Amino acid sequence: MSQRYLLGTFEREEDIVGVVKKVRELNYKIVDVYTPYAVHGLERTAGFAPSRLPWVCFALGLFGALFKVWFEFWTTASDWAINVGGKPWNSLPAYVPITFEVMVLFAGLSTVFAFFWSSRLFPGKKPIMPDIRVTNDRFVLVLEQEDSTFDVAKVQRIFKRFNTVKVEERQEGGQG
Amino acid sequence: MNPQARTFELPERFRTLTTVFAVIGGAGLLLGAVLAPERAWLNLLLGGHYLLGLALGALFFLAITYVSGAGWCVVLRRVPEALTGTLPVGTLIMVAALLIGVSGLFPWLELTGGAEHHDVGFKTVWFGVPFFLARAAICLVIWLGFARAIIANSRKQDEDGDDDHTRNNIKLSAGFLVLFALSVSVASFDWVMSLEPDWYSTIFAIYYFSGIFVNALATILVLLVWLRWRGILVDMVTEEHLHDLGKLLFGFTTFWMYIWFSQYMLIWYANLSEEVVYFVKRTSGAWEPLFLANMVVNWVVPFFFLLSRGAKRNERVLFRVGVVLMIGHWLDLYIMIFPSFSPTTPPFGLWEVAGALGTIGILFLAFAWQFGKAEYFPKRDPFLAESRHHHQ
Repeated sequence: MSQRYLLGTFEREEDIVGVVKKVRELNYKIVDVYTPYAVHGLERTAGFAPSRLPWVCFALGLFGALFKVWFEFWTTASDWAINVGGKPWNSLPAYVPITFEVMVLFAGLSTVFAFFWSSRLFPGKKPIMPDIRVTNDRFVLVLEQEDSTFDVAKVQRIFKRFNTVKVEERQEGGQG
Repeated sequence: MNPQARTFELPERFRTLTTVFAVIGGAGLLLGAVLAPERAWLNLLLGGHYLLGLALGALFFLAITYVSGAGWCVVLRRVPEALTGTLPVGTLIMVAALLIGVSGLFPWLELTGGAEHHDVGFKTVWFGVPFFLARAAICLVIWLGFARAIIANSRKQDEDGDDDHTRNNIKLSAGFLVLFALSVSVASFDWVMSLEPDWYSTIFAIYYFSGIFVNALATILVLLVWLRWRGILVDMVTEEHLHDLGKLLFGFTTFWMYIWFSQYMLIWYANLSEEVVYFVKRTSGAWEPLFLANMVVNWVVPFFFLLSRGAKRNERVLFRVGVVLMIGHWLDLYIMIFPSFSPTTPPFGLWEVAGALGTIGILFLAFAWQFGKAEYFPKRDPFLAESRHHHQ
């Protein structure tokens, strides 16, 4: 079954913030809001859940650090023990710099790849733009038409109140 | 458009308490000067480093925010400004400690020039008392001059609203940052590292700096949250400002650990006898638990408590972590200063309690005195509007 969306295009920051607040009060499902620049506080107005990426960063960073400590212990003290300057084989201070580097590497790369994964981003992907001008001077609100109770005409009237310049319906899998 | 600004007075009970602390500190150290002169002097030196470092760290905060054109911190700038204003107090204590020190307590006064001393020719020149005092005077005059000029410009702007004060402060700050790097290096070598005249570490100045800046950020946060709990700056300073201060604090505690470890690892790896003495003393006997506690208090605790976004936006968490770090900086200085005189047991008794109480008392009294000299926020700063609308 295809999913239907309603896109409203606006010209001013105040309008997009106002309309987002209004449709949220009326419990419409906001898919996304496109803006040409970061509008402060909009993510809270739209009720988007905070990103879960920090948890990926923390977990993989911790894993990287622990893995590296074990690996260094295994290489220098267990599998092929090497005497460096008469220091004990399991000299923890010598492990610290590499452990730190590997922790940063794991945390950084895992966050980037988790971001790609969660936003379905890959090289050569064709971007789905609600309107090419959201990269310039337009603001677009995308609502999901959840079921048959979604009254397009009513929502259009709300959009009108916030000086919408264009209202458009789209279907997933159709002409994106 | 802006809410009415007012000036500050310390609450009655708090004023009494801090005055009592300051008196206990002063009386304790005076008594100590008779009964245990060396211990009393070390505590005076520690208190001097604590208060002077705090004022310098706050001045460094003002300078980097001016130079980088930061607008976000304008609403809370009067707090670091007032801390900077306490510089004369720290200076007085430090001058007293240095003068008492050169009259017989600095260990390098007996540097005889035996063959076992490294680089002794250079050190006999460097540790001449007049040269030593001249260096101290130059450092202190530089800091006092810049602190006075930058604060005066900011306070004058409240009256005339002239944007040129901001421009002048940007120039002053740029000059200060260059001279600060040089002078704080000299000061940390002369006033801390020289307590172990045979030992040296070229990274010591950065280590000293990282400590004072962490402590300045922690103290700014603690005072700011404390002021907000008393109803001051409540509607001006939002959780966005606290979040940014929290991020700086989080970052610089890790910077402290990074520099601490840089110093430790090179000495540990090279294992040269004239370098390892410092850590041998600090990891032997009862010093070792304190040596480990230093890392826990100054890095592990702030790292895990400030890691999440929510914690950096929560004033109760910031206040508690800030207090832990303020105690942590005292411990850090204690571990820098005391083991050279007491290599096996950490001395803790009446003199240390008196010194610490006196430091807290003087810190609050001096802060209140300076914070009361101006309005709560720079009401005519050109960046005030930007700061009030600060958002992540």
